[in-house]
Amino acid sequence: MPALSGSAGDSDEVLMERFCQGDAPAFDALFQRYARPIQGYLSRLTGSPATAEDLAQLTFLSLVRARGRYQEGARVRPWLYAIATNAARDHARRHRRPEDLTPEGELPLTAVADTPEPRDAGLERAVQRALEQLPEGQRLPILMHRFEGMGFAEIAETLGLTESAVKVRAHRGYARLRELLAPLHQETAE
Amino acid sequence: MTPECERVLDFLDGPLPPELAAHAAGCADCRALLDGFHVLAPPRSAPAPAPLPFNEAKYEETRRKSLTELAATPLPTPWWRDVLVLLGTYLGVTAVGLGVVGRHGLMLNAAPSYWVAGVALLIVAGVGGGALLGLAPSRRTWPLGLVAAGAGAVVVAQLLGRSGLQVRPFLTGTLGCMGTEVALSVVPLAVAMVLLCRSAYQPVRALAAGLSAAGVSMLVLHVHCPDGTADHLMLGHLLPWVVLAGVAVFIRSRLPSRTFAP
Repeated sequence: MPALSGSAGDSDEVLMERFCQGDAPAFDALFQRYARPIQGYLSRLTGSPATAEDLAQLTFLSLVRARGRYQEGARVRPWLYAIATNAARDHARRHRRPEDLTPEGELPLTAVADTPEPRDAGLERAVQRALEQLPEGQRLPILMHRFEGMGFAEIAETLGLTESAVKVRAHRGYARLRELLAPLHQETAE
Repeated sequence: MTPECERVLDFLDGPLPPELAAHAAGCADCRALLDGFHVLAPPRSAPAPAPLPFNEAKYEETRRKSLTELAATPLPTPWWRDVLVLLGTYLGVTAVGLGVVGRHGLMLNAAPSYWVAGVALLIVAGVGGGALLGLAPSRRTWPLGLVAAGAGAVVVAQLLGRSGLQVRPFLTGTLGCMGTEVALSVVPLAVAMVLLCRSAYQPVRALAAGLSAAGVSMLVLHVHCPDGTADHLMLGHLLPWVVLAGVAVFIRSRLPSRTFAP
């Protein structure tokens, strides 16, 4: 890995500005900062680490190819997560049969993981299953808020919604998760 | 959801301030929210969750590919250049279209000239607006109603500003206009498709770009076509316009995206 002198402490926006001027180390710094979080997000979103790797690659290639669409001064993280979300939506749209669509026309997630299960696989699976049962409009804000540590303003920016709309969706999603995960929570508390 | 419920959302990660704690204690919605949030967190006694698997080889491959692309094109292409390319294409097709269909008379629309000019300006505004809506970066999904209202305004204006004349036999005139509109739309639609693939697929965007691209040939017909009955305009000018826009959405949905940027 090449040294990134002077990049580590820079804000995403400063790095993005330099990257837009063709500065490869600035891109490298952004890549190192976000490659793992983006892949983790996509892994949770798609339920498949292998798919997430491919989509993360498409996300970063999109970042390079479409940096002319980045609006100067805009926050980088929401833009990057918007690209990743679009890549995942496109993948789901192209790899699903019509009969797999939910009644709302949204695309459910795959529950099958294609890598060895983690130590607390039961808990992970239960959480993943519960998240899969949420409609996309509630699932995305919760994934970004709970697992990516994003604020509601950032999530709103990512999804192109108002902050209030995101909060309503997250509120409903968390309430629904409580219902879905209540038995598991009681088990682990005992 | 009350304003207090919204504020509870902002404090999910830490302890609630006393006034919000009091609210949450008495609010069933907030209790459900807090329980839902905390149920996602592993209990303190449980082992830390294993990190998600990470493929270092793929990581390096992605980094290398990205840097190679960056080295090949160090400077970005601003998005507005795509809009200019599309508008330039429209201008060229309009000029060629008017030159070809207007060789025996350029402006044969017999409606009052102020109506012809007014409707033409409306179509030009719609074509430009559609190109912008289709290609400009925006994370917000434009409402379908906005695009439909714009298209509806063009339809109504064309029908209100009709001359009412029927110069050619209905079928011949209508089929002729349909064919001309489709033929003149091929290039603008093709260019619009290529440019649309440079961002993530959004049906409303594709529809706006499709209406915009097919609007070029409709503009040529509006100025040139001598037939001005409502039936002719509906079937010969407006129906192909809407159908071509629908075809544009269908084709774009099948084309792979070069990038997934909003």
